[in-house]
Amino acid sequence: MLQSDELRYKFIFLALFLVFVAIAVRLFYWQVVRASHLYVLAQSQYETALKVIPRRGEIKTIDGYPIAANKVSYLVFANPKEIKDKKETVKTLAPILEADKASISAQLALDRFWVPLKHNADFETKKIITSLKLSGIGFEEKYTRFYPEASLSAHLLGFVGKNDAGEDNGYFGLEGYYDRLLKGKEGYFVSIQDALGKPIISKTSKNSTHLDGSNLILSIERPIQFLVEKKLKEGVETYNAESGMIGIINPKTGQVIALASYPAFDPSKYYKYSEDLFRNPFISDTYEPGSTLKPIVMAGAFEEGLVKPDTKCPICDRPLTMGEYEIRTWNNEYRKGSNMVDVIVHSDNIGMVYVAQKLGVDRMISTLSKFGLGNLTYIDSQGEVAPNLKSKNAWYPVDLATVGFGQGISVTPIQLLTAFSAIANNGKMMQPQIVAKVESAKGEVSKIAPKVLGTPISEKTAKVMTEILVTAVNKGEAKFARLKGYRIAGKTGTASIPVKGHYDPNKTITSFIGFAPADNPRFAMLVILNKPTVAIFGAETAAPIFFDIAKDLLTYYGIPPSE
Amino acid sequence: MKKPIFIISILVILTVSLAIAKAVFSNVLSTSGVEASKIESEIDRYKTENLLLMEKLYFKKSLHNVASKAGELGFEESKSQLVIAETEVLTRFLPHVAKR
Repeated sequence: MLQSDELRYKFIFLALFLVFVAIAVRLFYWQVVRASHLYVLAQSQYETALKVIPRRGEIKTIDGYPIAANKVSYLVFANPKEIKDKKETVKTLAPILEADKASISAQLALDRFWVPLKHNADFETKKIITSLKLSGIGFEEKYTRFYPEASLSAHLLGFVGKNDAGEDNGYFGLEGYYDRLLKGKEGYFVSIQDALGKPIISKTSKNSTHLDGSNLILSIERPIQFLVEKKLKEGVETYNAESGMIGIINPKTGQVIALASYPAFDPSKYYKYSEDLFRNPFISDTYEPGSTLKPIVMAGAFEEGLVKPDTKCPICDRPLTMGEYEIRTWNNEYRKGSNMVDVIVHSDNIGMVYVAQKLGVDRMISTLSKFGLGNLTYIDSQGEVAPNLKSKNAWYPVDLATVGFGQGISVTPIQLLTAFSAIANNGKMMQPQIVAKVESAKGEVSKIAPKVLGTPISEKTAKVMTEILVTAVNKGEAKFARLKGYRIAGKTGTASIPVKGHYDPNKTITSFIGFAPADNPRFAMLVILNKPTVAIFGAETAAPIFFDIAKDLLTYYGIPPSE
Repeated sequence: MKKPIFIISILVILTVSLAIAKAVFSNVLSTSGVEASKIESEIDRYKTENLLLMEKLYFKKSLHNVASKAGELGFEESKSQLVIAETEVLTRFLPHVAKR
């Protein structure tokens, strides 16, 4: 009896022991072996992770108005498995979403839980669809770039497109150059919820490390930019030119006041335009500057002490033959006994050949380099190019002669305007910059200080050159267009266009470069028209546009006439 | 001998009270998540409304809009932009004006 009881106890003890061992093994399996898997599973049940897309920074003009902002848009999506009557849904949605019935139908036919139906739908569209209470249709709120002034400053701004990963990315202009700063930093937001999916307040979220993009505050003055774009368009149409561009900078700081090119594009509908239009020609296109380069070469010769304003030109009384080439003046008029002032005032090519020969190749290269030609200006916009200067051994005598009057050398408009501004700024050449301040998402504002690129000429040379340029405006070819009462320094330019080894006799690039008021410049401006057909000289085309804008600028800045 | 019993009793009562308080607060707060969620939705709605209003405001303030409204209201830009400074140029370009 006792023996059987003992055996029973042992048996029960063993059975219980084995049960406990089994439980322990199972617990070990779940809590140790499968711990990480279960942790992830649990997390997915009580945590919801959401990607936080940072808001792209705005681009504002100097008056604080955003010329590139963000607007709310919606991604309309569907869960095909929740839609009962797909045919009716397609019929209802197609006209609202302005999409093909076939494409919506194809999306809804997919065996998926989520299909996109329309990107960038506006608030009104969302409102209409919501009111229809369609099952299986949802919305995802997003930000889309919005340009309140439409195509104003399009070349300056660039646009926001999609990269290979389908994310927003800035291209061209400021959107491209400052993309990382504007974009900000993506983050994650984790919400904790109970078994019913309701959020728990004690642990609503974990840290989100996202950072909105910074705002850019430009030196661009919106009324001037608007005015310049309007006048440029009118000018291109009046003179039947292929295209045109205008740049205005403050020569004392290098800050860009306005920069316009025509034809332009609408940055919000960039995909509807040719890719050729996206490049900002003011910083990306090269051209032969023609006579607008003469003040630079002449200033270099003054600086070197090779000529003085009253130096007589001994070869200006006739055309000049150099080997197989004959060099003439633009109007085939020759003035015996011209001095250097006359050479600039009458835009005398022969006189400039004399100056170029006085300089020689070494000093010519040195002068052009000091004025920044051959180098980037480092303007803060994507796509700047800098055509190289020829190396010393590639210069033939005729090259030296033609460079004197701005042919046979390529520059970008921004290079020329930057170089010319040195004359306006007592010899100091400033780096052109479009962004004046950067405002972080936290509201901290950092000013961008003006930078000096170099001092190509002395203050004395700059003042002498300024006086000559004032005389050029008052007595030169464009004197009929000048503003009475104001001292404005400037120079016309009519450049021939090289085509297949020779110059096209019928097509020109006309330009006018200048600054005002001459004694205390507030702005320096370059106007360029590409292949005008109504008239082919800078004095007849670009100069009237220059003075037309200058008059409004002087009024805008409240500068009274000085004479 | 009586003193330790008194202190221990106080500590026990305090512990029990705090435990009850914690349970009550946790209970109240756990259901506040729904309220918090509603408030967050409201904030998001106002943010969206603000952005939509900003969009309208920016458009109204745009110079394109102002210029077009000014045109509609009869504003005309002055065309006397150029100053003709030289008589000989007048003769050359506008002979009928120069004769006057």
